[in-house]
Amino acid sequence: MTNTEDLPEVNGYSRVSVLVSAVVGLAVAALALFWAQGFRLGYESLYRVNPSVEGGGIGSDWVFGNTIPALDFLIALIHAADVILGAFILVMVFIHWAAFQRLADQMREPGESASEAVAADGGSPTHSDGQGGDST
Amino acid sequence: MSNLDHGKFTRVTTLFHSLLGLDVFLLFFTGYAIMFNDELWWMLTLMGGASGVTAIHRITGIGLVALVIFWITLQLISSTGRSNFSKILPAKGDIDAFIQDIQFVLGRADERHPSARQFAGYKADEVPLLSYIGKGVVFIFSIELTLLAISGLLIWSKTGLAAMFQTKAAAMAFVTFHGLLGVIMLMGVMFHIFEHGMHPAFYPVETKAFIPRSMVPEHHGDDDEEPDTTGIERLSLSPSWRTVSTIFGAMTVIGIVSVLIGSIFDEGYPVPRELAIGGGPASILLTIGINLGMVVLGVGLVLSMYGNVLRIRWEQQLERDERPAAADGGEPQTDGGQPEADDAESEH
Repeated sequence: MTNTEDLPEVNGYSRVSVLVSAVVGLAVAALALFWAQGFRLGYESLYRVNPSVEGGGIGSDWVFGNTIPALDFLIALIHAADVILGAFILVMVFIHWAAFQRLADQMREPGESASEAVAADGGSPTHSDGQGGDST
Repeated sequence: MSNLDHGKFTRVTTLFHSLLGLDVFLLFFTGYAIMFNDELWWMLTLMGGASGVTAIHRITGIGLVALVIFWITLQLISSTGRSNFSKILPAKGDIDAFIQDIQFVLGRADERHPSARQFAGYKADEVPLLSYIGKGVVFIFSIELTLLAISGLLIWSKTGLAAMFQTKAAAMAFVTFHGLLGVIMLMGVMFHIFEHGMHPAFYPVETKAFIPRSMVPEHHGDDDEEPDTTGIERLSLSPSWRTVSTIFGAMTVIGIVSVLIGSIFDEGYPVPRELAIGGGPASILLTIGINLGMVVLGVGLVLSMYGNVLRIRWEQQLERDERPAAADGGEPQTDGGQPEADDAESEH
């Protein structure tokens, strides 16, 4: 078990810096809200995005087409990034999945007693409740 | 002794991580209920339809701006934050760790690299602040969150967007851009949940993101005893790990593949670049797959809450232990790993 004196000394963040950061964060968020929302409610209905589930939708506007090639390129770029990074993330999932299988093989099977383990150490894990520390 | 992974997060970081996670999950649920409307129509209805979903998305979006600015400011003005900058830069050890992970999977290495960090072995000081995956998460998520916040605010502010782009169609390209950008993070978060939920020694959740470093001992044995292995062979596997990790791993893969395929058809909004009625293939398999991806996110949300419950329980245990002089034997363990008895012995 852990005695509290074993706990490390940690140089955390000071209260002042946390407080200042919180104030700055909230202030910038409030400014962003003010800028995005504005007070000209008339504009709110302009370019209104309505999911198709309730009718409306933005398809009709898309018909006119995107006249700015740079935006079209950006979207194509993000598509490519999605696919490339998606494939990479899948590779990482499979590597970790396989690594976890190997790590699990190194562990004791559920219910396996200490005497059956390769490196017996005198513990009695069979009576453990997951909290450990059942030794005498 | 077992040489468990060591806590690295401060209390502020653990709280920030939980708040950011909750905020981002809500943004995912609302944003992708719109983008993958064909597949997640029920989610949109559940959250109050179009107006309800967009309202929640905007509120949580402002919350994200506050959290991101808070974090950037904190890293800049605090010495702890500034000292961390060098620790998040990519290093040779990260490439070595990636290569060694592949070798480990193929059976050509006995252990994972310290820079892979999950059950890396070694003492706390020798283990880097972030694993190579952790660095990738920090970089990709930082870029993503910044671009998503900016594009999101531009979409919100119609007048701001109109000032930049003269046609509504061009302005709507931002909606597409915003949704497609988030897909990378959506897939990354699914992997993140799998990585930190299904490690056999930490299953069902790795507590290092929830229990601050100040509350976790850096070693669990005799001071004289140098750790030469990770000690994982002394832990017992949870009876449910094999079944749950297999099912959850499959769900993670299906979820990632499905949202990736969905993103190719559903560009940003129910409207693809080339107009197609319905906004994409209403395939039953894709519907199931994307919904499974959302379940993976839901599990992540539950695990995040569970991690906080474990922190509270650990805090209470520390308080109890402080009162009587003798410690009662226990480990900051998750349910997956059962620490060895000599951990306790060596303390006495």
